[in-house]
Parts: sequence; C-alpha cells; structure tokens
Amino acid sequence: MAIKNPNLYRSRRAVNATVMAMSVGATVIGLGWLVLVLGALLWNGFGSLSLQVFTEMTPPPGSAGGLLNPIVGSLMMSIVAIAVGTPVGILAGTYMAEYGRYSYLASVVRFINDILLSAPSIVIGLFIYEVVVRPLGHFSGLAGALALAVLVVPVVVRTTEDMLLTVPKELREAATSLGMPRSHVIAHVSYRAARAGIVTGVLLAVARISGETAPLLFTALNNQFFSTDMNAPLASLPVVIFQFAMSPYADWQKLAWAGALIITFAVLALSISARALSAARRAQ
Amino acid sequence: MTSMDVSVGNGGTGANGNGVHGNGPHSVPTPIAGNRVLEGDLDEKVAVRGVNFYYGDNKALKDITVPLYDRRVTAFIGPSGCGKSTLLRILNRIYDLYPNQRAEGEVLLDGDNILSPSQDINLLRARIGMVFQKPTPFPMSIYENIAFGIRLYERLSKSDLDGRVETALRRAALWNEVKDKMHANGLSLSGGQQQRLCIARTVAVRPDVILLDEPCSALDPISTAKIEELIDELKTEYTIAIVTHNMQQAARVSDFTAFMYLGEMVEFDTTSKMFTSPVDKRTQDYITGRFG
Amino acid sequence: MADIALPDTPALVQERPDRTRVLSRLRLTNASFRTLTLAAAILVLVILGGVIVALIEGSLPALRQFGFSFVVTESWNPVTEKFGALAPIYGTLVTSAIAMLIAVPFGLLIAVFLTELCPMWLRRPVGIAIELLAGIPSIIYGIWGLFVFAPFLQHTLQPFLIDLFGPIPVLSTLFAGPPYGIGILTAGLILAIMVLPFITSISRDVFEAVPPVLKEAAYGLGCTTWEVVRHVVIPFARVGVTGGVMLGLGRALGETMAVTFVIGNAHRISGSLLAPGTTISASIANEFTEALGDLYTSSLVALGLILFVITFIVLAIARYMLMRIERRIG
Repeated sequence: MAIKNPNLYRSRRAVNATVMAMSVGATVIGLGWLVLVLGALLWNGFGSLSLQVFTEMTPPPGSAGGLLNPIVGSLMMSIVAIAVGTPVGILAGTYMAEYGRYSYLASVVRFINDILLSAPSIVIGLFIYEVVVRPLGHFSGLAGALALAVLVVPVVVRTTEDMLLTVPKELREAATSLGMPRSHVIAHVSYRAARAGIVTGVLLAVARISGETAPLLFTALNNQFFSTDMNAPLASLPVVIFQFAMSPYADWQKLAWAGALIITFAVLALSISARALSAARRAQ
Repeated sequence: MTSMDVSVGNGGTGANGNGVHGNGPHSVPTPIAGNRVLEGDLDEKVAVRGVNFYYGDNKALKDITVPLYDRRVTAFIGPSGCGKSTLLRILNRIYDLYPNQRAEGEVLLDGDNILSPSQDINLLRARIGMVFQKPTPFPMSIYENIAFGIRLYERLSKSDLDGRVETALRRAALWNEVKDKMHANGLSLSGGQQQRLCIARTVAVRPDVILLDEPCSALDPISTAKIEELIDELKTEYTIAIVTHNMQQAARVSDFTAFMYLGEMVEFDTTSKMFTSPVDKRTQDYITGRFG
Repeated sequence: MADIALPDTPALVQERPDRTRVLSRLRLTNASFRTLTLAAAILVLVILGGVIVALIEGSLPALRQFGFSFVVTESWNPVTEKFGALAPIYGTLVTSAIAMLIAVPFGLLIAVFLTELCPMWLRRPVGIAIELLAGIPSIIYGIWGLFVFAPFLQHTLQPFLIDLFGPIPVLSTLFAGPPYGIGILTAGLILAIMVLPFITSISRDVFEAVPPVLKEAAYGLGCTTWEVVRHVVIPFARVGVTGGVMLGLGRALGETMAVTFVIGNAHRISGSLLAPGTTISASIANEFTEALGDLYTSSLVALGLILFVITFIVLAIARYMLMRIERRIG
C-alpha cells in the first residue's frame, strides 16, 4: 500500500525524530550533570583526603586536623538509631504483612508510613527537639540517634512488608499445616524466606541516615572535642561538613570536602551491597 | 441434595463395614470378596456432614457429606473448580488464614466437630497434616525441615530427634537419597525429592490424617510413581485423602473415590465400583473423559 | 524404592504424642508476638501523631502572638521579635517550582529514553546509576552547589541572563542583577538536580508497567515511537507519573541541606530570582540553634509546622495516586 499522504508522514517522522533527540539530549545532560557533581566531589575530596583525616580531631580554625570525632559520633548515632529503629520497623512490617494483612489498620499504617518515609527530615529534628531535647534541657547524641531512628523506621517497615508479601502463600500454608502457630510460621519460615530482602531494607536505612544532616542540627548539635557520651552533644560527620563548608577557613573547607567524600563512599557502598543482596536473592 | 440421586455418608454410625454409603437409597454395595478395601473394620475417621463453604458471597461447596475411613485412601476427583481442593482445605481449616472464607456444617474428627470455634486449630493441624500441589520446602536445611515440626510439640534429646528425622525420611522413601547431605538446603533437592521431603515433614509430626492436594501435579512420571508407592505404604498407618486431576492415579492409589462437580458431591463409592459401574451420568461422563 | 520396606520400619501403630500440654505455651507465644507487632504498627501512627502534636505545641506561642498574620507577614526581625513566614514560604514555593519546571520534563524525557530508545545492554547500568544517585545525601549536592556551581553561575549564566533579559520589561525584574552566585535561582537548580533521579526512576517504573501488548498494538498500526509514548504510554501512566512528580515535589519542598548552602538566607522577597532569599527549611537549619528567646524558637517551629502541612498534603496526594496505579496494575 502506498503512503497516502507523504507530507503528513514526513512531518510525523520529523516530530518523532525531534522528541527522540530531545530525550537523548535530556539523558546526556542529566547524567552529565550528575557526573559533574561526582567529579567535583572526587577531585576535591581526594585532594583533601589523608590519613590525618581519620586519626585527628577537628581542628580550630586556621590549623590542620582531622575528622575522627565526627566519624566516631556518626557511627555511634547510626548504630543506636539502627538498634532502636530496626526492631520497631520489622515488627510493624510484620504486623502489616502477616497478622494484619487484610485489616483496615494495616492500610492506614501503610499510608502513614509512606508519608513518614518522605516527610522532611528537618521536621523530624524539630519533633525530637520538642520531645527530647527541650524536656531534658540539653542537646545530646541520644536525641540525635532518636531522630535518626525515626527516619529508619519507615524505610524498614516498607521493605519488611514488601518482602514478607513476596513469601509464597503456599509456604505459609504448609507451615501452618504442621500445626505451627502463626508466630512460629513467621519467625521460622517467613523471616527466613525474606531475610535477604529485610537485610537490604536495613542497609538502605543505614544509607539513608548516614548522610542526614538536618535532623541532627538541633538534636545532637556538635562537639569539637572527642566524646563518646551519648548524653552530651555529639559531633557528626554531616553537621561538621555543614559547619566547615560554610566557614571562611580554607582548612575547614578542605576537611568538609574530605568528609563529603567519605559519606558518599559509605552511602554508595551500602546501596551497592543492598542491590547485590537483592540481586542474589532474585537469582536464588 | 435435590439434583442428586446418590446419598453419601452412612448416617453417622460411622463404624462398620456396611457403612459404605449407599448409591441410591436402597442399594448397599456388597463387599466384594477378596477386595482388600473392605477387609477388616471400616472406621469413619473423619465425617464431613452437610458442609457449605463460601469465598465471600460465592458459595463454593454445597451441602457436602462424605466419610474418610481410617487407614484407607480416599481420592477426590472432578473437573477444575469443582471444589475438591476447597474441601481438603476445610479439613485442617487452612482456610482460616484468609478473612473472607468461611465454612458451615460439621466435620467430625473422631467424633469432635473441628469446625467448632473451641477447636484449637494448631492442634488440629498437627493431627491433620497437608501436602500441597507445589513442593514447599522451608528455606532451611533438610534436617531442619523435618526436625522443626517435631520440636514444636515435643522435647526430644538430640539422638531421639535424629531417630525421628531418619524414620520420617525413610517413611517418605527419601532417606537413601539425602542421608549424606542432611544439612544441605531443602531447596537444593529435585522437585520430586522436595515433595517427598514435604511428605516426610508431615509424617514426622505423627498426624492421624494426611491430606494430599494434587501432590504429583508438578512432578515427572518417575517421581509420581514413587509418591504413589509411598501413599500405598503410608495408608497402613494414616487416613489419607488425595485430590487429583489424574483419574488413573485415583484408580491406582485409592480405596474410595468421591466425584465432585460444581461444588456438589455427586457420587462416593469404593474405587473399583466407581471406575467400573458408576451410577451417576455425570460421573460416567467424567470418568470416560467426555468432559473435564 | 529399596528404602521403603526396611527392617527398621517402625511399629505400625505409633503412640501419638500428647500435644495438649505444649498448647498453652504456643498460644501464649503467638498472642504475645501478635501484640508486639501490633504495638509496633501503632507506634508508626503514634510517631506521626507525635510529630503533629509536638509541632503544634511548639508553635503555639508564635501563633498566639501573631495569629494568621504570621503567614502573610514578610518581616522577620529577631531584634524586635516581629516574625512573619511569608518570605520563607515564598522561597520554598519558588525554589520548588523552578526545580519541578526543570526536573519534570528532563525526568520524563530520560524515562522515555530508558524505556523506548535505550539499547538493552545500556538500560541496566543507566538505571542503576540513576538509582544510586537518588541515594546520595543532599549535603553533597549542597557543598557542590556552594563551591562549584554558585561561582560558575556567578561568572557565566547569571551575567548572561541579566544581559539577555535586561531590555525586556517583566523579565528584567525577574533577572535583575547583581549576580551573587547564590540565591533563589541557584537553589532551584540544585533542587532540580536532586529530584531528577526520583522523578526519572518512578516515571521509568510506571512506563515499564504499561502492558507490552498495548504498545505493540500501537506500533502495529504504524505509530512512531513518539506517537506510542504520547497516545499509549502517557495516558496509561498519567496517574503514576503525577504521583511520582508529587513525590519529587514533596522532596523539593522539604529539602534542607542542598538549599541551605546556596540560598543566601535573606528574609525578604525580591522580585529577582538572582537575589538571595530563604526557604522554610533553610531558615530553621540556619537559625534554630542560634535563636534566642521563646518567641524566636517558637516562630521557627511554626515554620516547621507550615512546611509539614504543605508536604503532608502533597505527599498524601502523591501516595493516593501511586496507590491507585498500583491497584490498577495489580
């Protein structure tokens, strides 16, 4: 069949070619931009990175130093946040996928949890300030860790629920048919089957909180000295980066770049291992 | 039972040889001499009485009455969607997992109504085990797959537990194949082995009744033959109900056969009778392959 | 079947274990575990309730003092303790608008590329790269914006825009100099880079959920790729894409660190996009620990409350839309 209207066809093809060119262009620009960000980070970060960064305390302005105390502070707060947030998240996700699977409550919790998942983290900081810092009368590492825990919970809830929902119902029925109560079915069969997925969720949660700055600004505050006291203000990597980058001192700005590089590597390593884990799970 | 010319069940006495359900109100099948089915006493282990079942508003089973005899194999046959799997799922109340499924009527296990709310369902399921269409090994080692159910209700020493695991695997004709890799993941077995593992797992809990829901439909012919042989062994000790799509299989393994159609129990009789001279037209048509 | 008829086959009639004594223990375990999970699920609701209550309680002094005028007053004066939220609200909305104006078309076009044009071998790496970038903490974008992007803008794009639009009436106000580098426009651009991966990856997921038969049917009619996208993919994916865009908007509105570095923190509304300004989150981040006096602190918490209300509405709409499409895909 001959093309009835060659002009129409030509213009359709032209429109198509234009849009497709735009989409290629957008991809190149979008990815290029992201490459620029990472490139600058690597350039400046590696330029500022040295062993000193990991072994020395944050310096006063105008002198050299490292980021040991904020690194330790970040690690401590992250560990506490995960220790507090993970069990809550896993249990809540368990309720939604198992006991309460068909309940109204579960769908309400799912909705609210999704809101918390994307709620501005600075608001979570204000919340912890109001309920922990203000009543106690002082900033503390514990308050910072709690703020991070509030961010951990929705991530873990979401992945736990999703992963438990993928456990085949036959497995649950088979376990139930042995006379197991639901709690045993969950603990010994569902959790085992969903383990990799749940661990992935926890890794993603760690990745999420390791770069969080806003909720720490007025909960953990900052501490220019080495401290492991969770009941006192505690330094953290993101807050120090913020403070140092905004300062006029070149030494501090260099340390800020170094810190930014460390955080990015930590986050990338976490998300890549999370991916690898879930890929391994799928392959199984 | 309006459309049915067959009455099933034996009205509740449930304990003797002439209780093989009549086909037609007046004809009581005479035990055929030498038929192993009817040798010895027939005890009605499970009695399904007037059971209706609903998925939401959809009535899937209509007034089902059928007996399961102690240490006999009862096969349930019928076209897809006739409700045979649904019936099996009532017997250990696995349907309880889902909120909008419900059963009415009576299912008596040794005389106790298991549908009554006071029945402890975990205990019930430990007494009435079930094997599913798809093999469902748990994500743990072969040993753990079996030890797990045992530990639930019994505290055993390590050696006793080992013994029980071995016994269960031997009963499921799997021991020789797995004895050297007890700590391998259950998922590493072949499909047929997995299914026998599931049977072993069920047997290990020492149930009274074993429900098999199309246990061979996902298996190759050799594995199927092994499982059929196994069923023959197991019935010396357990009451067995099997749902199958495969009529030859029903003929091979069962002592009694129930034919279901569109949620109704059409006919129930000894397997030899069902496959040689069924009473109902629909049973005839199905067995001769005219539909389904 | 050699191992069936073994000599050690156990006695035919086994003793059945007495299970009743373990039952109460199992029942108790199950009931406790159930209660525990239920409590955790309710805790999620309590956290959100707690956030709302804490924010309202903390902002009461300011709201009592200023009433509704709080949201329509531009002045923000810690010395005289006169606080109004208009400038941060304006800044939040404008920076987010700039971000969405750029990120939405870019995100959609990239999603089209990834689902329709991209060769198979390239799809996974590009997709993964985009998802990894979505996970990079915002402080990284902030520090890049401050040290690299802002100076670059100050010397190139901004003078260019000022010259370009200088002679045109309305636009000359919008792009009035001097070029500071930092400011509303810079913050909006940084936000755009930040939300781009989100919008791209959600759009791509939604596009991929379009049933292949639909697309094949359209291609079968002789449609060009663009026509298939325009008439099949986009109508099918509209709800999901809108949900994804709203989710990105929620992020942009609440984003703190990427903005705080480059916004300039000036509590005034300027006609020019090149002028410094502030957003709700940047004001809180910059001023909270230095705020003296209850009224100052309370005003910042009130800002947080406003931000929370805005993002809650946006996110609720986003989730509602994404839920609808999930239900449709089943």
